[in-house]
Amino acid sequence: MGGVEDEEPALKRMKLSSKGLVGLSNGSSSKEPVGGLSSDFMARPLPSKGDEQVVGSKGVIKKEEFVRIIAKALYSLGYGKSGAHLEEESGIPLHSPGVNLFMQQILDGNWDDSVATLHKISLADESMVKSASFLILEQKFFELLNGEKVMEALKTLRTEIAPLCINSSRIRELSSCIVSLSPRLDIVRVRSRSKLIEELQKLLPPTVMIPEKRLEHLVEQALILQREACPFHNSLDKEMSLYSDHHCGKDQIPSSTLQILEAHDDEVWFVQFSHNGKYLASASNDRTAIIWEVGINGGLTVKHRLTGHQKPVSSVSWSPNDKELLTCGVEETIRRWDVSTGKCIQIYEKAGASLVSSTWFPCGKYILCGFSDKSICMWELDGKEVESWKGQKTLKISDLEITENGEKIVSICKANVVLLFNRETKDERFIEEHQTITSFSLSKDSKFLLVNLLNQEIHLWNIEGDPKLVGKYKGHKRSRYIIRSCFGGLKQTFIASGSEDSQVYIWHRSSGELIEALPGHSGSVNCVSWNPANPHMLASASDDRTIRIWGLNCLHNEYQNVHSNGVHRYCNGGT
Amino acid sequence: MDLDPRQYENVAINDNDIHSIVLSYLIHNCYKESVESFITSTGAKQPADYLEDMDKRKRIFHFALEGNALKAIELTEQLAKDILENNKDLQFDLLSLHFVELVCSRKCTEALEFAQTKLGPFGKEPKYMEKLEDFMALLAYKEPEKSPMFHLLSLEYRQQVADSLNRAILAHLNLPRYTAMERLIQQATVVRQCLSQEAGKDGPPPFSLKDFLKS
Repeated sequence: MGGVEDEEPALKRMKLSSKGLVGLSNGSSSKEPVGGLSSDFMARPLPSKGDEQVVGSKGVIKKEEFVRIIAKALYSLGYGKSGAHLEEESGIPLHSPGVNLFMQQILDGNWDDSVATLHKISLADESMVKSASFLILEQKFFELLNGEKVMEALKTLRTEIAPLCINSSRIRELSSCIVSLSPRLDIVRVRSRSKLIEELQKLLPPTVMIPEKRLEHLVEQALILQREACPFHNSLDKEMSLYSDHHCGKDQIPSSTLQILEAHDDEVWFVQFSHNGKYLASASNDRTAIIWEVGINGGLTVKHRLTGHQKPVSSVSWSPNDKELLTCGVEETIRRWDVSTGKCIQIYEKAGASLVSSTWFPCGKYILCGFSDKSICMWELDGKEVESWKGQKTLKISDLEITENGEKIVSICKANVVLLFNRETKDERFIEEHQTITSFSLSKDSKFLLVNLLNQEIHLWNIEGDPKLVGKYKGHKRSRYIIRSCFGGLKQTFIASGSEDSQVYIWHRSSGELIEALPGHSGSVNCVSWNPANPHMLASASDDRTIRIWGLNCLHNEYQNVHSNGVHRYCNGGT
Repeated sequence: MDLDPRQYENVAINDNDIHSIVLSYLIHNCYKESVESFITSTGAKQPADYLEDMDKRKRIFHFALEGNALKAIELTEQLAKDILENNKDLQFDLLSLHFVELVCSRKCTEALEFAQTKLGPFGKEPKYMEKLEDFMALLAYKEPEKSPMFHLLSLEYRQQVADSLNRAILAHLNLPRYTAMERLIQQATVVRQCLSQEAGKDGPPPFSLKDFLKS
């Protein structure tokens, strides 16, 4: 029967291995002739107790299985000769002779014989034999139809397929194919014979026919487990190698001061990287805010100094597209700035109440502001009020955030309570702490909230549904001021925070372990921000009027240079 | 709360009406001899022009009931060309009867050819597609009686088709498609349903012919 796909190499492979086996049988001490006894057709049994052959130091890998999956991998890589040699040299055939015969018969289109061989391969499961027979006979049926042998196809259907008594809806479909009712291309398209073998492989147990790409799958499993177990994982997947177990050391965490930015005349209270990691904004007691640009080699330079506020600037907020910036004066006004020109586009104020906090809506069309009278207001960009929520929704000193779906507003509504307010359903959930809350930070996926407490602890809450406490971080110092913390690193695996002892603290998020306490500043560190586009860059703002940019340890110079290139890729906002 | 039988006394029924009802039933089902003796016995009026057509109708009905669809089709077309042309559903059902005959007599090649030439064209319309697939599936089984589609081989199915054919012919002859008796029972059932829906549990119970006949 013609119509075999271009599987010449496969045919040769199969024949070669069979030949190899014949040679083996003749040469080996085994007295069993090829193709005679049923034991040749059985799936190779596992070695009996006294005959255990294992490889590897832990004694869990069976040698026979190991060799077989290696042989299979060699074949799928295209190294047929090597595969055949391995089978011969090890004396461990990839497939039992029965299975080899079976596959050969399928490739040859020798349907009836292949079904007979299938029955001889002893499979415990009757239904599996039936399903496999069904697949084979279906192939026969379609190939007959394709060859315009309609009556023979009908005969196959009636006398061979239907009596199997399985899958009657499929039988129905096959009947309509005979009458060629409508161009049912999805049914009539005849798959290739090698595809059929693949389908049979999936159906039959792995001991009989080893699944495709088994070795590759095992190795990938190991790599992924290594990556997951890596505590300080802060590097890219392609850096993983098979030669040694992957683990990121602390050297993947920014711990060295790369740059000190001195441009403010007074305490720096707030820093934040833009979403694309190309800019950094800082807010200071000196009543200005500065937009810094992250250069190609990772160095920051002043892009614009934003003057205009009459009061110290307490916070900044980047628009979702990073083209605009909001700055908030302490109990004063909010200003909206254009990042490229540095000009102030709009000033927001309200009679009777001064503004204390602000944030952008995820759609970029509205802003949300907190007032000294504890209310929150939603404005269109041109200053038109859309909605306002009164009552104790926020405090004079409070952060303000919105979840990324624009649904929930987060703010501190009482000294020790964070309010999660659903704008649409008006549903209110609360995070109640035993201590006063000083600041909070929302994770990138809006599922977690990091809350800084008066008692020098940072708590991590899961805010999906009912809030649940999931982590605690300690070690830093906080007694008088507002200290801020943030999420950071690849996949936000780390928590960083400022501290009144002038150090930057970094913890491992899931274990809560303190990884680093970085000295350098000479004043309380008020705020930290981890570059969302570069897991190796961290910025800290301090009372000593400077901002420090932290990166990977300079000792690894070569590494540094390689990573500078890496950094520049990130800076340009590439994926 | 059932209806009080005494209420029935208030309704007068004309004998002629009763005769009409019985006659309509007998004519519908082509009981020619019964019709003649009934008319003789009761002196009821003989409806015009019915005898000749009744004979033809009877033959057609019986051929269909036996499964001899081709003969039924032939005679129907003799009677009136456009009955089947205007009623594709019926035409399909009759052709499928023939197909079933071929399958039951194990004439697979013929059945396949017949299906491809006569039934296949119907498959262009989606509403026939599923029915067609049902019939085609019969080809897959050496013993169609044991297949999932065995109901297509049953007497009930042939009865259904024969009935439809009968009604179509009656309609063509400008005679009522349904007997007065059928309609009366259907009416009583539907009216009762409406009443019990509206009145809730206070209304009369649904109409049950069996119970009615017993009472």
